[in-house]
Amino acid sequence: MDAPLLAIENLRTYFYSRAKRAFIRSVDGVSLDVARGETLGIVGESGSGKSVTALSAAGLVTAGPGVISGRIHLHSNGAQRDLLDGLEKYARVTEQDGRVMAVEKDERGWRKHSEALMAGVRGKEIAMIFQNPRSALNPYSTIGKQLVETIRLHTSLKGESEARERAVHWLERVRIDSPRLRFDNFPYGMSGGMCQRAMIAMALSAEPSLLIADEPTTGLDATIQSRIVDLLAQLKTETGITTLLISHDISVIQRLSDRIAVMYGGTVVETGRAAEVLAPQAQARHPYTAALLASIPSAETIRRKSYLQAIEGEVLDTIEVPRGCRFYGRCNRVTEAIRESCAGLEPPLEEVAPGHKVRCWLYPAAGKA
Amino acid sequence: MKLAAIKPVSRVLARELGITALLLFGVSMVVFAILYLAPGDPLNVLLEGQSPRSELALGMREALGVSQTWYGQYAAWFSKMLQGNFGNSIRTGLPVLPELARVGVYTLTLTLGSLALTLLIAVPIAVHAAAHGETAGNTAATIAAYVLSAVPVFWFGYIMVYVFIHWFGMFPLISGTAARQEHAWLYFLVPIFVLGIASGTLSEMIRHLREELSRVLAEDYIRTARAKGAPVWRHAFKEGFLIPVTEIMSAKIPFLLGGAVIVEQVFNWPGMGRMAWQAAQDRDFPVIMGIALVAAAFVRLGNLLQRVVFTAVNPRASRE
Repeated sequence: MDAPLLAIENLRTYFYSRAKRAFIRSVDGVSLDVARGETLGIVGESGSGKSVTALSAAGLVTAGPGVISGRIHLHSNGAQRDLLDGLEKYARVTEQDGRVMAVEKDERGWRKHSEALMAGVRGKEIAMIFQNPRSALNPYSTIGKQLVETIRLHTSLKGESEARERAVHWLERVRIDSPRLRFDNFPYGMSGGMCQRAMIAMALSAEPSLLIADEPTTGLDATIQSRIVDLLAQLKTETGITTLLISHDISVIQRLSDRIAVMYGGTVVETGRAAEVLAPQAQARHPYTAALLASIPSAETIRRKSYLQAIEGEVLDTIEVPRGCRFYGRCNRVTEAIRESCAGLEPPLEEVAPGHKVRCWLYPAAGKA
Repeated sequence: MKLAAIKPVSRVLARELGITALLLFGVSMVVFAILYLAPGDPLNVLLEGQSPRSELALGMREALGVSQTWYGQYAAWFSKMLQGNFGNSIRTGLPVLPELARVGVYTLTLTLGSLALTLLIAVPIAVHAAAHGETAGNTAATIAAYVLSAVPVFWFGYIMVYVFIHWFGMFPLISGTAARQEHAWLYFLVPIFVLGIASGTLSEMIRHLREELSRVLAEDYIRTARAKGAPVWRHAFKEGFLIPVTEIMSAKIPFLLGGAVIVEQVFNWPGMGRMAWQAAQDRDFPVIMGIALVAAAFVRLGNLLQRVVFTAVNPRASRE
């Protein structure tokens, strides 16, 4: 098998909170692979670290992270590069009992080096689309101009008129009506759905190897959301682009993903092929995934007018990470047999079926480790 | 500028010019009212201490064609003004408008020069602070700018006179005479420096630009620009730089003119500020009216410029 296009190994992104004098461990040891041509969906609640994972991969974490460590390998055009290569030089981390105690960091050097690593990657190899498309497009520039800028930056089309033609072509491909008229529109005169289409066109116009879609349907009306999902599905079959899709909405993930990673508290708790992870009668499943699935309204629940099942408790505060399983405090499937392990020891991510891994003490495969 | 932006810009221009005309009319009325109600008579200068009620005074009024009633006086001034005649100075007898144009150039040099200097200092500090956060260097520079802005401009002016002219003997005290010498522009640098540093504009410019720019740099669309590998400055320039800079410039022009009056006194600068000072002491009505109108027009011009830039740059503003 080919090497995966994007391989994230043991990524840690910590932020230092001055107010609490502690590290927020937004992403805490995440490993993910995205194979060429597939769509990997990352699902989880707000604060699970899914967006920060994506932003780290694109080198867009700006808020001065305390640490970013791990490896992010990108294999494209026959070249392989590590997007975090050499960054550790700029930060000295003092650890104690495996916990980060202090960080001395050359912020400017770090940022400069990160920008150097990302030059020629961001926008060209990795393109991104974001939530709230109306504020994510430059309000002071027309849609067309923003597209032309991307095309001239990243493709061989350097001339103004060629780039214009290509931009109109991309607006057509994302099913924007009368693209030549829309070309001169400013984002404020367009609906959220239209803006998201324009942003998708902009991202794809650079012909990237990887598309990161960070909550592409958040901030849109419900009907528009499903149209955008349809569009993404169509573009996926047309272009076969490799996608890293991030959403808190498991139904969006369900419709678009080939494989799924479920994140909780900064770690991946379950990963596998979409059909297996979301199968109604899955053999083995993380209690958190089960709870997420139970919170989607289905035809059945609507017919019975029963309440949706909410997940009890609060999202994990990633400052005070518990010793045991991160989901222990909210888990409703703890049995007496495993309670001790759940409370005291973090379960490893173990394979329960080929290609399907779960981080839970419930499953014997994990127990044998 | 795109063709589409010309229409809204011309509309704003027309509206602002209309407002300016009304405003100037209002200014002339208010200034006239203040002058009329204030004690003192402009003819005192000419009468040299004789009673204003004397025969001589009445004869002089008649000779000058001064109306007895206040509305008559204002109407006479106003109708002449519409024809471009601002009258003659009572003290010198010279026509006001050419005189204003002559000294106005000096004041313009002083205010625009100091504005440029303020920008030259404020912009790098503000941009650095917005882009890199607070560092030791830019924090020190900002504090220094705040301290300098808090210094009274006349005091700072005298200190500079003492340092440059008394200690170093570098410049002649009277800038007016210096204007006719070689390298005259060199002598202008001290007053420009004083007004640029100490007029109180510096700190506000830094603060406004830094806050606006760091707000814009945190916007979602800047993140998008970074994500697509485009230069951040290209995207942040309009909202984060151009708009705040023109805003603060237009807001600070009145303060610069106020500061210019003081600086011109301190440095004997032959500008409008000193002319205004002299005219106020003489109750020289035509000169005061002329200066008030020119100053008001100058302030409005700054405002106009800001509105035009804002409309040309901001697509939302042009739809209003």
